[in-house]
Amino acid sequence: MHDVADVLRRLTVVFTDFEGRLEQTPLIRKLNRGRFEMDDYRAFLIGLRQQVKDGALWMSRAASNIGEDRLELRSKLMRHAVTEHRDFRLLEADYVATGGMLADITSAEKNIGSEALSAWMFNEASKPDPFGLLGAMWIIEGLGSIKAQEWGRLAQQRLSLPDTAVRFLLYHGENDSQHIGEFQEMLGLVLPGEATAKRIVRTAEVTARLYALQIEEIGA
Amino acid sequence: MARDVFITGCGIRLPGQPIPSEAMEDHIGRIHGKPSLLGRRALRWNGIETRHYALDSAGRPFETNAGMSAKATEAALEDAGLGVRDLEFLATATTQGDYLVPGHATAVHGALGGRSMEIASFQSVCGSSLMAAKAAWLNVLAGQAKVAAACAGEFSSRWFRPSFYEGTALVDAKGRIRAEADFLRFTLSDGAGAIVMEDKPRNDALSLKVDFIDIVSLADKFDPCMWAGASVENRTDLQKGWAFAGPVAAHAQGAVALLQDFDLLKRVIRAWVGVYLEKVDVKRIVPDAVDWLLCHYSAKSLREEIVSLLEKTGAMIPQQKWFSNLPRVGNIGAASIWVMLDEFLKSGRLQRGQKVLCVVPESGRALVGFMMLEAV
Repeated sequence: MHDVADVLRRLTVVFTDFEGRLEQTPLIRKLNRGRFEMDDYRAFLIGLRQQVKDGALWMSRAASNIGEDRLELRSKLMRHAVTEHRDFRLLEADYVATGGMLADITSAEKNIGSEALSAWMFNEASKPDPFGLLGAMWIIEGLGSIKAQEWGRLAQQRLSLPDTAVRFLLYHGENDSQHIGEFQEMLGLVLPGEATAKRIVRTAEVTARLYALQIEEIGA
Repeated sequence: MARDVFITGCGIRLPGQPIPSEAMEDHIGRIHGKPSLLGRRALRWNGIETRHYALDSAGRPFETNAGMSAKATEAALEDAGLGVRDLEFLATATTQGDYLVPGHATAVHGALGGRSMEIASFQSVCGSSLMAAKAAWLNVLAGQAKVAAACAGEFSSRWFRPSFYEGTALVDAKGRIRAEADFLRFTLSDGAGAIVMEDKPRNDALSLKVDFIDIVSLADKFDPCMWAGASVENRTDLQKGWAFAGPVAAHAQGAVALLQDFDLLKRVIRAWVGVYLEKVDVKRIVPDAVDWLLCHYSAKSLREEIVSLLEKTGAMIPQQKWFSNLPRVGNIGAASIWVMLDEFLKSGRLQRGQKVLCVVPESGRALVGFMMLEAV
C-alpha cells in the first residue's frame, strides 16, 4: 500500500467504518429514529462549533510546518484555512436562529471527545511535514460533503426548522461536492511513499475514532 | 481435508408471461384505484422493463413460492444431468415463504418430493440466496453430501396487493400511500432460481468451482432498511412488532407491508462499497482478475460519485464485464442472482479458466455477500 489509489481505498474503508460507528451514537440514533429534539440539535451545534473553530487553526499550524519542497501543499492548506476560519460564526448564527442564546454557544465547554480531538489535531499539526493530517482532512471534509446535508435535512424535517437555522449543515454539503477530486490532487503531492501512506491512514483512523467520541459525548 | 466443490447445474422458474412496466401497476392493483406518485420515478431508477408475476391480472395466484422454488431446483438438477432422487441436501432461501411456520425448506421439499433428506431454511432478503449457497457448499466441502442444491424463490406480488395497504396507516386521508411502502411495489417481482453443487465437476461441460462465499452483516451498525413486521415509527422497538399487536391491529398500523427507508438506503450503499473495498484491500477480491461480474444491483443505479470513487480507488470492474438480465426479468430478490447466473451460463460467454464474481447486496439490515467462481 503506497500510492494514491491504495490510500484512497483504505481511507474510504476507514470512512465507511466511521459512518457505521456514528450510526450507533445516541445522538445520531435519535436523529435517524425520529426522536431528535430541539435540545439535541442545539447540543449538536455546540459540539460542532468546537472543532470547526479549531479546524482552521490546526490547518494553519500544519501549513506552517510544511517544508519548502512542498509549497503547493502549503498553499492549498493555507487557502483552505482561510476559506473555513470564520465558519464557526455561521454555527453560532444557526444556534441563535433556533431561539438559543448566543452566550450559551460561545461560552460552552468542549466535551471530552472534543478535548481529545482538538489536542490530537494540534499535536499532529505541530510536527514537521505533518502529511498524516491529510487523513484527518479526509474524515472531516467527508463529514462536510457526505453527512452534513443528510443530517441538516433530517434535523430540519423533524424539527420544522427555518432555513436560517440549518445553514451550516446545508451550506457545507453544497460546497464540498468536488472534494474527492481535490483531495486526490493533494494526496498526489505527497505520495507514493510507504511511510507517508501508512501515516495518512493511521491519522484518519484516530481522527475518526475521536470524532465519533465527540459525537458520543454530546448530550451524554 | 478441504476438497473442491463445483456448481454443476443451474435452473429457474419465471411465472407467466413478461409483464411490461406500463401494465405492472394494474397487474398488482392500484391503491384505492389511484396511480402511484412515486412509481414512474422508481421505474426509471431501477431500469426494469419487464418482470414476472405469479398472480394473474385479477390477483389470482397460479403458483406458490415453494412450488416455483421446487421447479427451479428440478430444472437445476436436470441441467446437471441428475434427478430429484440424487439430491442429498437442500437449502432454501426466500424473503417470505408461503407459511410463517414451519421453515420454507419443508414446503419446498414437500413440493419437490424425491426422498428423505437434510434441509435448511434461510430467510433474509436478497442475501439469503448466498446463505443457502454457503450451506450447500460447506456440506459438500465437509463430505456430508455429494449432491446439494441451493434454491431461492420470491412471491413478492402477494404482498403488493391493495389489501395490504388500504385501510392502514400507510395510506393517508387523501388516499396517498407512504413512500416507504410504495417504492418496493415497483421494484420487486416473482420467480425462483437454483443451483446444484457437487464434489466433482461435469466432464461434458463447464462447471464453476467455488473459490469462496463471504457474507458480511452490518446489522451491528444499522437499523432495518427494508423490513416487514413493524411500522415505520416502531421499527426499532421489537416489542412493538406485529406479533405483539396481533395481526388485525398490526395490519391497521401498517406493520405488515414490506417497507423501505430511502435515507438509510443511501448510507447502506456506502457501507456496501466499504465492505467491497475492504475485500479489495486485503486482496480477497482482485478486480483485474475478475472476468465477469454478476451483481444483484444495476450499474445504472449506482450513483456517479460511487462509480468515480471505485475508479479512483482501483476497485472498479469495468462495465463491459458486468452481466445482468435485471431489466428483462425484474428484481426477484433472493432469486435474482441464480436467474442471472442461469442466463449467463446459457449465453455461452463463459470460457474455461475465467473468474466470475457474484455480488449480492441486501438492504434488509445492511448485508452484502460475495461469491467467487472459476470456470473449470
